[in-house]
Amino acid sequence: MPMLTYALLLHAAPYSHQAALSALRFAETVVAGGHRLKTVFFYHDGVHNASALMSPPQDEVHLADGWKRLHEAHGAELLVCVAAGLRRGVLDTSEASRHGLAVHSVEPPFELTGVGQLVDAMLANDRLITFAP
Amino acid sequence: MLLHLLNRSPQSLSVYRELGEAFGADDHLLLIEDACYAALPSASAALEPFEGRVSVLAEDLASRGLAERVSPAIAVVDMNGFLSLTESHQRCVSWF
Repeated sequence: MPMLTYALLLHAAPYSHQAALSALRFAETVVAGGHRLKTVFFYHDGVHNASALMSPPQDEVHLADGWKRLHEAHGAELLVCVAAGLRRGVLDTSEASRHGLAVHSVEPPFELTGVGQLVDAMLANDRLITFAP
Repeated sequence: MLLHLLNRSPQSLSVYRELGEAFGADDHLLLIEDACYAALPSASAALEPFEGRVSVLAEDLASRGLAERVSPAIAVVDMNGFLSLTESHQRCVSWF
């Protein structure tokens, strides 16, 4: 099988529904299978997967760290819908300062971005797989 | 030739009905998450429109204690099998 490029779209909040874990497990299988995971787009309640404040018990899967590992080891870009994020208090330092907020909850390698990037990811990759609640 | 991903239990009848209407002759259905319950023999009516073209994810079956109760008509695949299905189908549609 030739190498394929994959984009994932995640709509589900972490720990609320299995979809957030399903997406991470599938992402790990993609790279283990010799394919390239180029983009993960976090949309709707899925933006909560990007929270730098996520602190699950140590014996549970740390979903945000799982995505970070995929970025560090395989270069997957972790894109968070800015409009969905702002509504839910999921924002980075620059959006926090733009909105006069003292705190932020998104750190690199997660990036706030627009839906246009999702369209780009759909067009640029061989596969787009959606995980939703 | 589409791969359909379904994560709803057969209690979500409308999703199964809509999927049945959209399902093409060369399509394949993969049951994940709560859709594993549709792989039980008692739920076979929900899968009639997709007969012979259905797989179910082993890990999600096991986590629900259903691994030994799957209808023999349904193929059980692991995560690598899930990946293979996405390799062999150019487009993947998720139903939820």
